[in-house]
Amino acid sequence: MKRVQSVCLALLFTPLLFWVAPVMAEDTVCIQCHSGQEGLLGKPVELWRGSVHAANGISCHDCHGGDPTDFAMAMSPERGFIGAPDYVAVPEFCGRCHLGVKEDYQGSAHGRALAAGGPQCVLCHGNHEVQLASIELINEESCSRCHEYERAAVVKQTINGTEVTLHRLERSVAALHRVGIDMRRIKEDLFAKRNSFRRLFHTVELEKIKNQTAEFNQSLLKIKQQIDDHESELGQRKIVGGVIVLLLLLGGCIALLIRKSYHEEE
Amino acid sequence: MKLQKEAMNWLDSRLGIRELLHSNLTGYLLPRNVNVWYTLGSVLLALFGLQFLTGILLLIYYVPDTEKAFASVTAIMNQVPYGWLIRYLHVVGSNLIMVFILLHMFSVLFMGSYKRPRELTWLSGFGLFNMGLIFCLTGYLLPWSQLSFWATTVATDAAGAIPVVGDTLLEYLRGGASVGDATLGRFFALHVMGLPMAFLGLVGFHLFCVRRAGISSAPFGEDYRPTELSNSFHHQKHPGGVPFHPNYTIKDLAMIFFALALLVAITFYAPWLFIPLDALTPADPFSTPAHIKPEWYFLWAYQSLKIFPSALLGLAAQGAAMGFLAMLPFLDRGPERRPGKRPIFVTLYLLGILLTVGLSIWGHYS
Repeated sequence: MKRVQSVCLALLFTPLLFWVAPVMAEDTVCIQCHSGQEGLLGKPVELWRGSVHAANGISCHDCHGGDPTDFAMAMSPERGFIGAPDYVAVPEFCGRCHLGVKEDYQGSAHGRALAAGGPQCVLCHGNHEVQLASIELINEESCSRCHEYERAAVVKQTINGTEVTLHRLERSVAALHRVGIDMRRIKEDLFAKRNSFRRLFHTVELEKIKNQTAEFNQSLLKIKQQIDDHESELGQRKIVGGVIVLLLLLGGCIALLIRKSYHEEE
Repeated sequence: MKLQKEAMNWLDSRLGIRELLHSNLTGYLLPRNVNVWYTLGSVLLALFGLQFLTGILLLIYYVPDTEKAFASVTAIMNQVPYGWLIRYLHVVGSNLIMVFILLHMFSVLFMGSYKRPRELTWLSGFGLFNMGLIFCLTGYLLPWSQLSFWATTVATDAAGAIPVVGDTLLEYLRGGASVGDATLGRFFALHVMGLPMAFLGLVGFHLFCVRRAGISSAPFGEDYRPTELSNSFHHQKHPGGVPFHPNYTIKDLAMIFFALALLVAITFYAPWLFIPLDALTPADPFSTPAHIKPEWYFLWAYQSLKIFPSALLGLAAQGAAMGFLAMLPFLDRGPERRPGKRPIFVTLYLLGILLTVGLSIWGHYS
């Protein structure tokens, strides 16, 4: 009887729940604790919030390890906590996810100079505020900290056209995805192409970059053709939609004119 | 033509069809001052019909299984011929229905048409509004997207805030500890079978009330006088009025055309208006999307819950507001319907709308 009463009460309250709305889930214990701290211990959270990692759901524990659900054990080595790596360990640290780039970087002049204080990932990309990599990372101010800019400028000029095409294609893919078109395959293909291209210029070998950029441009043309087909179909849909809207408006106006003729009779 | 006439004669001799049609169409007179707001009921009926049709077509390809639901919706959008059109008409249609229901309610409130003897018409209409909201919420879960999963998780979570029955209610809604297969099964059954049957019944009752009580005349113009109320049943007639058909149905038809034009325009040009980005990603119980917000018609409730210090208080305030609105005909009992002669009501009416819109905008940007 008590259960029946509970169910009846539950049913009575059910409609109230449909007026309730979602809110954000709780943050990890890392964010809860560090965001309340000042200085060096709190700053990373603020920087991370505006990063490409945060935008893609990569949180503190994904890089630094530890247990994001347990305050007491969050920073315990037993739960895989690594903490901040040394300067020379950074490529291995980032390379756990960015495998291809790590491989090309390590074989490059930059990678070979690491032990002697050569550049590593965070020097160009930053750490907690890491942004989506862009060609603008290659600039005189940044490169001339270690060497002359001329060679880097030629690399930048060589890859510029391909980078612009990649960006344009990514924007088109996002726009088509937004209207419900299944872009997973093209997106994955484009993602793989972009990663391979980014790997390429981490080698900092001018001749290799020049030769392979032409090959990338050819493969991007195929992706562009697929995107153009989708965009063309969308354009046709809009024309048909426009005609239907006009016909419906015309139907409405005719009905109103007929109504007016009745009105005059009344 | 001759065959048609013979068929009509055959039916008429058995069911009295001509008399029925005359008394409900050509011989059914409406007040001369009916305005464009009176057409919203017909517009809603047309949109409901379209929802039923597109819903049945979606059912052919939709799979109510957490492993397959998102993929089946993606297939409808990309592989089924005109599947994208059917789905978008269904999604955009559901939002437009909420827009037109609200406009219908606002016009009824402003013209005082909810008053005696039309209390049951108002109550059934208010029930339909709530049922529309439940339709939207249950339909929300079916694509099994990130938005579906997390919106339903938080909406059902609020059940725990209710004392005594909280746990039972949570279990009853989800069919388990968390949103999953059992929840999808329940919401699916409710969306495609339980709710439509109850909805059709309530629409029938609403129309029955409208027809039995008679159409109320618009409370505007010098000739308008408040109706004398009697204790016995009285069908409000309008001698010298305009025939429902064809004089009025053609106006209904015009507005249906315009509403469909709006529906088609949004469907073809801006379907994303009603589809947040999180609705395009498959559900992932291990990844909570940032900045998840409810649909626009729940925003006022979302923000009001945030204002109150506890979820229970927020729910109680919302329940009180909705209860007040439902019981309005029994509280506001005077015969006067002219807005100009009801300054307190009109002030509260405008403040209520401003508060709802304000809370919604606040909720959107908060």
